Amino acid sequence: MIVPPAVIILTFAALPLQATPKPQLACSTPPNLGTFEQLSREADRARDENRYQDAIRLYRQGLEIKPTWDEGLWSLSTLLYEKEQYSDARDLLRRFVSRVPQAGPGWALLGMSEFQTREYSRVVDHLQRSRSLGLGDRKDMAQSVAYFAAVSLTRMEQYDNSMDLLYETVNAGRCDTAVQEAAGLAALRMPLLPAEIPPDRREMILLAGSGFCAAQMGQQEDAEKQFRKMAEMYPNEPGVHFLFGTFLTNVRPEDGIRELKREIEVSPFHVPARLRLADIYLKQQQPDQALPLAEEAVKLAPNEASSHMVYGEALAAKRDLARAIPELEKAREQGPDVVRVHFDLLRAYSAAGRPGDANREKETIENLRRPGSEQ
Amino acid sequence: MVVVFPLLALLLSAHPTSSGIPQGSFEQIAKRADAARAADRMEDAIGLYTAGVRLRPSWSDGWWSLGSLFYDQDRFPEAEAAFKRFVALAPKSGPAYAFLGLCEYETKDYERALQHLQTWSAKGFPGTTDLIDVAVFHWALLLTRKGRFVESLYLLAVEAGKLRGGPALVEAMGLASLRMPNLPEDYPPERREMVWLAGEAALYSALPSNDSDRAAEYARRLLFHYDHEPNVHYFRGTVLNFERKSAEAEEEFRQELQISPRHVPAMVELARLNLSHDQTAEALSFAKSAAEIEPKNPEAHHMLGRVLLTTKQLPESARELETAKQLAPDVASIRYHLARAYAALGRAKEADREVAAYHVLRDKQQVLAPPQEKLGALRKPTEPPE
Repeated sequence: MIVPPAVIILTFAALPLQATPKPQLACSTPPNLGTFEQLSREADRARDENRYQDAIRLYRQGLEIKPTWDEGLWSLSTLLYEKEQYSDARDLLRRFVSRVPQAGPGWALLGMSEFQTREYSRVVDHLQRSRSLGLGDRKDMAQSVAYFAAVSLTRMEQYDNSMDLLYETVNAGRCDTAVQEAAGLAALRMPLLPAEIPPDRREMILLAGSGFCAAQMGQQEDAEKQFRKMAEMYPNEPGVHFLFGTFLTNVRPEDGIRELKREIEVSPFHVPARLRLADIYLKQQQPDQALPLAEEAVKLAPNEASSHMVYGEALAAKRDLARAIPELEKAREQGPDVVRVHFDLLRAYSAAGRPGDANREKETIENLRRPGSEQ
Repeated sequence: MVVVFPLLALLLSAHPTSSGIPQGSFEQIAKRADAARAADRMEDAIGLYTAGVRLRPSWSDGWWSLGSLFYDQDRFPEAEAAFKRFVALAPKSGPAYAFLGLCEYETKDYERALQHLQTWSAKGFPGTTDLIDVAVFHWALLLTRKGRFVESLYLLAVEAGKLRGGPALVEAMGLASLRMPNLPEDYPPERREMVWLAGEAALYSALPSNDSDRAAEYARRLLFHYDHEPNVHYFRGTVLNFERKSAEAEEEFRQELQISPRHVPAMVELARLNLSHDQTAEALSFAKSAAEIEPKNPEAHHMLGRVLLTTKQLPESARELETAKQLAPDVASIRYHLARAYAALGRAKEADREVAAYHVLRDKQQVLAPPQEKLGALRKPTEPPE
């Protein structure tokens, strides 16, 4: 179960809040330590005694006296977040993480606040940062961070990265409706949040998501049933045949090919369907079939590393190294962390009699595979 | 019970808080501030610059550095305060107005943000390429919010040519294309798919390669799901018009009027198409309705003036074009038609004055020219506007 934002940290009754403090720059009052220490103790006591209105007021007063009070910034941020005062919480958390940049929970709460204020590119950056810094033993928060990061990545059209996070979620044993919606949107490559799903296609998205979950949990028959139902009910919707076809290529490749071709009929500019088909043909050692599809993908998506990679692979399969190597080099430029591109180049340079370049690719692969690397 | 994360408590206990006020002369503090910034010790630099401007409030470089540091950390309320002080001390500095406008956008002071971004543009778009892209993008968002959709789309189309797309640009183009006076942060979630599909169609129409097939595919999907939503057919019509498919465009504008009978931009476009086909009676009807529904819309009066000019109702034409000129004094094509009306009326001196104004405005090549002028820029310089 994904933890809704309002119960991530604390739960208490609704209380009125005061206005956000004005930004403090050069004109803040010099700290009166006696007053400040007294205030901070009273603020903590009010918070511990569930007198949240008093706590918020006291933390604000304390921060006016001492704007660099990290504990106060954090406590007030969490209180405001809980009270759904997301933009106020966000502004305080930005001050907090600039002072304590190693605080994973700080970045997490900032990203989740920004999700509520609909700043999705910042959400993605900040939640990824929180994940890399770690959240300690807060498993419920980690689940929420993964969920918010995944749906924000989908909204930002980074579907594959979103699905990587959702694989983790499903592997951890969760596939409730919220996860199914998120997975369905990412798998169908629709840049929408679950709250933005059009009512006439909610069922399509849930079928896609439940099929995704079943496939990930190894329940192949159930997955195929869900995907087939989706394709039968929504045969003309973009993304449907791509998803079903991608699933089938691992089960019955010829059926998968048929579905992927159908996707290109439904959505004539679908790049991933072309790349997937080309990939299958290359695995079946049919480079003549793969080449035109990969070439089209490059024309449709010239800034995608994967387009140049598959086109380069198809050219290499045709032994046209003179054209394959520049394509693979373009793929490397656009996706320097993609190990498969370096493997392709290693093979292509070796075949072209360029051992120095091949060795460099080998070293890069070793570096990328080293524990702690981004790959 | 409030739960503060244990990990955080550890981090906080280990964090050396720099709460002390920096000591020393102004010169010493300024030097230490610059050194801290150069060494990426941002919190120290902020503390030192803050101390520096407290000692010497006229230190404009200090306010600039402080604003920049806060801006880089997304601390917009504090950055806004610093940039305000900076521009008060150094009003001729161009890039600061862009930063100030961007901060005001983030703090939701949208009127001031628009005002400062316009000040920045009037200074010639000073700043780095990144700043220009971000500032132009936000300026366009604010124009959309104000209902100035054509100007917004003009700016976004320029960005599309440079950036070649991206989710934020697509969303912004979708809002402006569907004439939704909203920001990306504040429109209803149920309209998201519609905005996305319209944005993709607008993007592919605007790209220098003008991938009209791909634009048409997104427009097809938009119409399939949102056929009865206001502005959808109008948007489709503008794209078709841009592709010079005037018969199909006309059909879309007429469908828009079925859905939104008081849709002034659709009426203006239909009047324009009627006029190009010498169908002056219907053109007059559409243009009159448009000017009646929106008496403060310069394009409606402009179109009515043009129709009246064609039907030789010269005094009425001049009156409508004068109204249009009053409402939009910077639009060159209004001046051109007004000059023609004055010339036909034998008011040669006034005609000469409007011709001169037309040349000045046309030659200014303003960024915020309306689409007729934008298209006009693609024609030969001697060719008159539509």
